[in-house]
Amino acid sequence: MAVINFVIYLSTMIGIYSLLAMSLNFQVGITGLINFGQVAFFCIGAYTSSLLVVNAGIPVVVAFLAAMALSGVFGYIMSIPTKSLKSDYWAIATLASGEIVRLVALNEGWLTAGPFGVMGIPQILKDFISKDAYPVFYLLFVMACIIIVYFFLDKLTNSPFGRNLKAIRDEEELCLSLGKDTQKLKLQAMVVAGMVAGLAGAVFAFYIQFISPENFQPIETFLMWAMIIVGGRGNFMGAIAGAVVIQLFNVSTRFLGNYVPLGSDSMAALRMTIIGVLIILFLLYRPEGLIKEKKKVYD
Amino acid sequence: MDIAQILINTLVRAAELSLLAIGLTMVFDILKFANFAHTDYAVLGALFAYVFNRILGLNLFLAIILAAFVTGCVGILIDQAIFKRLRNIGAKPVTLMITSMGTAIALRNLMRLIWSSHTKTYAIPLQKPFEILGARITPLQIGIIVVGLISMIAFHLLLHRTTFGKALRAISDNSDLASACAIDSEKMIKRMWFLASAYGVIGGSMIAMEHLLYPRLGFDIIIPVFCATILGGIGNPYGAMLGALTLAFAENTVLALDLGPIINFGGWFDVGSIQISTGYKPAISFMILIIVLLFKPTGILRKK
Repeated sequence: MAVINFVIYLSTMIGIYSLLAMSLNFQVGITGLINFGQVAFFCIGAYTSSLLVVNAGIPVVVAFLAAMALSGVFGYIMSIPTKSLKSDYWAIATLASGEIVRLVALNEGWLTAGPFGVMGIPQILKDFISKDAYPVFYLLFVMACIIIVYFFLDKLTNSPFGRNLKAIRDEEELCLSLGKDTQKLKLQAMVVAGMVAGLAGAVFAFYIQFISPENFQPIETFLMWAMIIVGGRGNFMGAIAGAVVIQLFNVSTRFLGNYVPLGSDSMAALRMTIIGVLIILFLLYRPEGLIKEKKKVYD
Repeated sequence: MDIAQILINTLVRAAELSLLAIGLTMVFDILKFANFAHTDYAVLGALFAYVFNRILGLNLFLAIILAAFVTGCVGILIDQAIFKRLRNIGAKPVTLMITSMGTAIALRNLMRLIWSSHTKTYAIPLQKPFEILGARITPLQIGIIVVGLISMIAFHLLLHRTTFGKALRAISDNSDLASACAIDSEKMIKRMWFLASAYGVIGGSMIAMEHLLYPRLGFDIIIPVFCATILGGIGNPYGAMLGALTLAFAENTVLALDLGPIINFGGWFDVGSIQISTGYKPAISFMILIIVLLFKPTGILRKK
């Protein structure tokens, strides 16, 4: 039974990170925007949804929509500097913005309860589902979210809008010369990606029922990056594959602690060292990732 | 806090930051990518110095020099193993930047694995502060300012009086023309990595001496160092020094400012005295960084 519960937990976490990786892939893999502050969306989504429900008693559905909306607004704000900044300068700024969001969550105690975190986040539809079946129900809910997001993003990527985004990634000047408003396209891409990651944040908060600024350390962003680098950028199956590989590695090695003579801090350090090395090795020897982007050729 | 104290704290912080910013700006200028692992090299060196100082019992000054040398070699090694390969396959600067992020994660956690997350201190005797114009300054802080100044002058001389410095400036100006003039850029790049990493180690050790040393320190100082670099204008070492000075001054004054009178606006809103919470201290450099990037991404000083 413990094994089954663990598998369900692991699958749910893989699902949540798949959403985050797909969102990051939409920014990095499709549009070419290097975002090192992806965890900010996750944080905003989680805090918005849980605070609205816990403190204001707003219905869960509305809270989820609000979480997506606010993360989308943050995506809009983050996209503004892309107008004047080269991609590497923007990347540095995103790293800072991710930390600012976490610092706000940590310091604005009147709103977020600061380091104590938000407790008592209720389970969705708890009254209708038995306690034993609940983890399975939530896993199905996460799966449903993934399927919807996958088809939505895939459809979007293969639409004229998505082709424009890829054009920005490959050759921004060319895209500009064809009269495309690249700034507006980037803005729209960031809003869409922000909403998806905000949804992931809300799904995460209502799954673990307790969130604190500790959940939104910059290390989360690096995990998402490892996912899209290992899985492959430019296609969403790659993002999901990366989430599976990295989360399997990340979560399953926690139990090796019983067999390896290392403390939990050292184990965490070893885990992240391996993930860092994995990122480097993939970029050096297999830059396209596990699942390669299929490039369409139009004759 | 009075002005003399603010001035002293600013000078100390600027000495630390500018040594780190110089290396970052050089790499950014010559290789065209933002090296996110730069401050982690510095912390690696500071940890080496810790080993030499605490375990081998070396004099702290010698320990840092030795650590700077060793880490300089590590900088060259990492470049040969990772960044050079990417340069050779013609990878875009963005790919190099992402790879440096991977390198930073691997290096930071490797340090955590070897030295554990606990904070460390060097063998420094308890510091008895002097009083200068009513401000307090420890002998250690005087040392930091002096070492900072000497390092800056040495850097200036290196850049303008040696063949290496001239070659480096030539590559920065026009790399094609430089290689046409028989300047071996790969050799110069090696020396540049050595210099950037070694200078970083001196800066990193000084921060570790004045505060605490722990493997995650590299991440905690990356934004201030980037901020100082960009504030001064990428590729301009003197700009990096000025950027460090500006940022250090801001870090030391913003929290002491009373925003009340500004928000009150001639008595329209009576909010009394408002100060930014100290929890936001790390956010000062983030905010300055974002503001500079938004309004003046080329920095204060223009390149050369």
